[in-house]
Amino acid sequence: MEVTREERNGGILLDVAGNVDIYTSPELRGELKAAIDAKCPRIVVDMARVTFVDSSGLATLIEGLQRVKTFNGRLVLCALPKTVLGVFQLSNLDTLFEIAPDRDAAFAA
Amino acid sequence: MTDPVHRVHVSVCSHPHYLDALRDVVRDTAALSGFGEDVAEQIVLAAVEGWTNVIRHCYANCYEMRIDLEIRMSSEDFTLEINDYGEFVPPDKMKGRDLDDVRPGGLGLHLMNKVMDDVSHTKNDWGGTSLRLSKKIPEKDPDEEEDW
Repeated sequence: MEVTREERNGGILLDVAGNVDIYTSPELRGELKAAIDAKCPRIVVDMARVTFVDSSGLATLIEGLQRVKTFNGRLVLCALPKTVLGVFQLSNLDTLFEIAPDRDAAFAA
Repeated sequence: MTDPVHRVHVSVCSHPHYLDALRDVVRDTAALSGFGEDVAEQIVLAAVEGWTNVIRHCYANCYEMRIDLEIRMSSEDFTLEINDYGEFVPPDKMKGRDLDDVRPGGLGLHLMNKVMDDVSHTKNDWGGTSLRLSKKIPEKDPDEEEDW
């Protein structure tokens, strides 16, 4: 898995590629934590290049969302591939997260 | 004549680095059994959740232990059996969480139950846990050609 961080429109974009699982999710958690600790008002996670996500990845994102809400920030996910969106739907998390079709929409929302 | 059961065995150490190989073999065998791409991916997810539970709960994140996977494919069922050699975890100790209780963790068991038709945990002959995940094979389109 690779996470690329970019500052954009007063927020932070995390571009994630590869498998997000028990082995790799600590890296994503670290990137999210850095953005959250900086109290970034909008964190966008672009998942277009994510090939697999399991409950470890979901837990990482839930934790991030809960921490972002403590300072009224926003965590927006975007460009979820069909199989990744399917995992969110199986867990009823597609209604919990803000999900945008692409990164531009995520920053405009 | 009884219907043949095709079997695939994988035995690897508990390092999550091997999840890639696990995903590949489960995805390929699920496709061979007639599951479409989306359902095959869901079965891969269930397998990874089971495998991850072993690493996390039975082996306490020790990456040098052994995990065995047997895949059984018949004309009726696709079954994954994951055996570990750690401490048996009774089923009543493996509680998933209610989906309305939104917090990190506790989703793995829910996902396995949601994706598969049958999920069972039993004590195996080595004192560890045997996790069986089964799913009915989809009805075959009579117009489709037999390919194996």
